[in-house]
Amino acid sequence: MPPPFERSVFVNCPFDPEFAPILQAICFCVANLGFRPRLAPENADNAAARLDRIIELVRGSKFGIHDLSRCKSTAANEYARMNMPFELGIDHACRRYGGGQMETKMILVLERTRYDYQKALSDISGWDIQVHGEDHQKAVRRVRDWLVDRAGAEAIGAAKVLGEYAAFQEWYWKRELATGADEDDIKEYPTNLILRAMHDWIDAGKPV
Amino acid sequence: MTKKGQHVVPNGGKWSVKTAGASRASSTHKTQAEAIKAGTQRAKKEGTELYVHGRDGRIRERNSYGHDPHPPKG
Repeated sequence: MPPPFERSVFVNCPFDPEFAPILQAICFCVANLGFRPRLAPENADNAAARLDRIIELVRGSKFGIHDLSRCKSTAANEYARMNMPFELGIDHACRRYGGGQMETKMILVLERTRYDYQKALSDISGWDIQVHGEDHQKAVRRVRDWLVDRAGAEAIGAAKVLGEYAAFQEWYWKRELATGADEDDIKEYPTNLILRAMHDWIDAGKPV
Repeated sequence: MTKKGQHVVPNGGKWSVKTAGASRASSTHKTQAEAIKAGTQRAKKEGTELYVHGRDGRIRERNSYGHDPHPPKG
């Protein structure tokens, strides 16, 4: 059964290994503040088209976090990444034309450096746009502030969230070592497994 | 009750030693090496584990100074 609309946060971020530490920190912040991060791979049913899966997540989430920091190519002849702005457009259209509870949807846009969006997507001027500088701590602060301000999340300080992120990782390492994993295995686990572990940790009462 | 581990974590441009779950740092240092030294002393005193995080916030190394059923490799 999918989590309730009011507590669901669609996280539209790159899934490449280089971005994984920031994505995982964002997911932890969202989950630790009592919301459910929704990622495209979570409903990776091969029978459903990727776009249909994304639309399902967008429609089921009141909140959307869209990271545009990988939209800029980093080398000559490299294509810009268009999936993130495309999915941001779907989320916006859902809010504009979806009717009913879709009109309550809220969107946070994250970017690498201030005003990057003005060079590539100036139509979104005036939206909630925040900068993380590819720093997981800044990403947690921006997401925490937005969820407290716009979603009524409990105002737990960002430093506390980061301290609990360390506690979660310690718990996770111990749990996985106890199941026979080694340290290299743990470092390579994909984000969707780590996200599941975050929910396990929260459900267990956030043990330290 | 399990003892809380000590964590060496990035803190802005510096490095801090934090007890798991704490919002405040026990100490903050200019370099990661200095923080590891301070964190190791704390972990030994507490008889617990030291977790060293990378600049990306994820654990990259673990050292045990207590009773560890899963001692680090090597």
